[in-house]
Amino acid sequence: MSLATHELRKAFGGVTALDGATVDFHPGKVNALIGPNGSGKTTYFNCVTGMIKPDSGRVTYKDRDLTGKAPHRIARAGLGRTFQLCRTFPRMTALENVLAAVPHGGLRSFRTRSDIERAMSWLTRLGIEHLARSEARDMSWGQQKLLELAGVLMAEPETVLLDEPAGGVNPALLDRIGTLIRELNAEGRTFVIVEHNMDLVMSISDHIVVFDRGRPIAEGPPSVIRSDERVLGAYLGV
Amino acid sequence: MPNASKRILVGTAIALLAAAILVFPSLAPNPYILSSGVLVLNYAVLATSWNFVGGFTGYISLGHGALAGLGGYATGLLVVKAGLPSFAALAVAALLVAALAVPLGMAALRVRGASFVIVSIALVLILLLVFQSWASFTGGSRGLVVPRPFDLSRPEHHRVFYYLFAVLLAIAVLAWWLIDRSRFGLGLKSIREDEDKAEALGTPTFAYKLIVFVVSAGFTALAGGLYALWFGDLDPVFQFSILTGSYLVLMALLGGVRNLFGPVAGAILVGTALEYFKVEYGDTPLHLVATGVLLALVVLFMPDGVLPAIGDLLKRLDRTKKSSIREVTAAELAEQRKAAV
Repeated sequence: MSLATHELRKAFGGVTALDGATVDFHPGKVNALIGPNGSGKTTYFNCVTGMIKPDSGRVTYKDRDLTGKAPHRIARAGLGRTFQLCRTFPRMTALENVLAAVPHGGLRSFRTRSDIERAMSWLTRLGIEHLARSEARDMSWGQQKLLELAGVLMAEPETVLLDEPAGGVNPALLDRIGTLIRELNAEGRTFVIVEHNMDLVMSISDHIVVFDRGRPIAEGPPSVIRSDERVLGAYLGV
Repeated sequence: MPNASKRILVGTAIALLAAAILVFPSLAPNPYILSSGVLVLNYAVLATSWNFVGGFTGYISLGHGALAGLGGYATGLLVVKAGLPSFAALAVAALLVAALAVPLGMAALRVRGASFVIVSIALVLILLLVFQSWASFTGGSRGLVVPRPFDLSRPEHHRVFYYLFAVLLAIAVLAWWLIDRSRFGLGLKSIREDEDKAEALGTPTFAYKLIVFVVSAGFTALAGGLYALWFGDLDPVFQFSILTGSYLVLMALLGGVRNLFGPVAGAILVGTALEYFKVEYGDTPLHLVATGVLLALVVLFMPDGVLPAIGDLLKRLDRTKKSSIREVTAAELAEQRKAAV
């Protein structure tokens, strides 16, 4: 059993963003979370990672109850996440951005050789090692997305939640991100991906969960989801 | 710029600054100028202490004047009422204020941005009222006279305290440097850049903010307490003044909050200017106008502060700086294409 939620509920004023979301994600797989705009995907991510507290329901990870825990505790339990509009530390260099994900150890220098080597190897893997000494604010959108991912991976999470990894990314980079996700998955990381780009979702996912109005309405492998009537209805309004 | 030559440049600048600070008392023509030097160093310690919170976490506190005031009053009262030796009182006062900073920080650090600024202002106003009204204990508006620790002539008194402030400044700067290069410091800086993101990466942001707030409060109280022992007379109106906090913010911003010596440089500039304006314009509010103009100019033209602006200038003069774009020659490109085919 990996990441799972039971009857997760969250309302903002009169708007019900999550309406009893019960989901089991498949461990060791690339899971996708899709659904129309406003169907609660990002709220779901935020509840799972502790950024907002659900009104009711439970979040469990490896049989540990994580409901309502602080985001940093959830991160340390092995859940890493990226944000919908990519978020980096703008006035820190790329290297510092990645080093900031190292579990902190008081007054020890953050520039230890082993940490720097590990950070550089992530930057290299994502193809932005030449920017290590540049500040994040001077980097392009695509470079910042790669940088955010490098930071998340530096924390060595077993499960990675990506909120729209393809958002605003050019086709060449999109390809690279898709390949990277598959590679990282082959190394044993579980992925949960919120994404609107159906080509990417269909090509890299093993398991897809479809959200509509704050709850899952269908789930299964891409071949099944592609032809599911409820999914077509939610997306196309037929 | 190559690392070695940069290090030599920074080292020389630090040595010059230290030498200038140490030599100043011998050059000061009269006790008044020397006492202005003490005030400027007091500001330098306060601004550096403020920068533990402001520079690392980006939380702009206008309330640090109150922490200094608490340090001053705690020191004074421990000497007057409890009969402690002056410097024991100073140490105990700093510990007391640091301990008080725990609940204060727990309340204030829950809110960010403008809300935090307002909470910090409220702290100053509340303490002003308390220390004015509780006259039986604090002396109220009549003030609190703190006995001097040494039996010295006035110029000698200033000289001794000048060096005491210089030592305190060195300790504060050293502590800031230690945090700046540490993992703890990197965590704090990531809070400044994006607090939610930092927490999502596993940084216990609230604990970090609280710890550094307590450290900052401790240093601020030490500076306030040392001021009380030096000046010898405390009045709530000056100890719990919004102006003090505003000056500290101005100094730190002017010098550069992301720079080890930024607040010191800012304090020397603004502190000297303040003293000068006071001499020129006397008790008129013109020195406030001049200070306001100074702040506006800094925000407009040097948003990162004076020291970073100088650093950028040096960088621009240095042509060896690498650009952020990976530079590839035509020959390398052809090579890559060949390899790809």
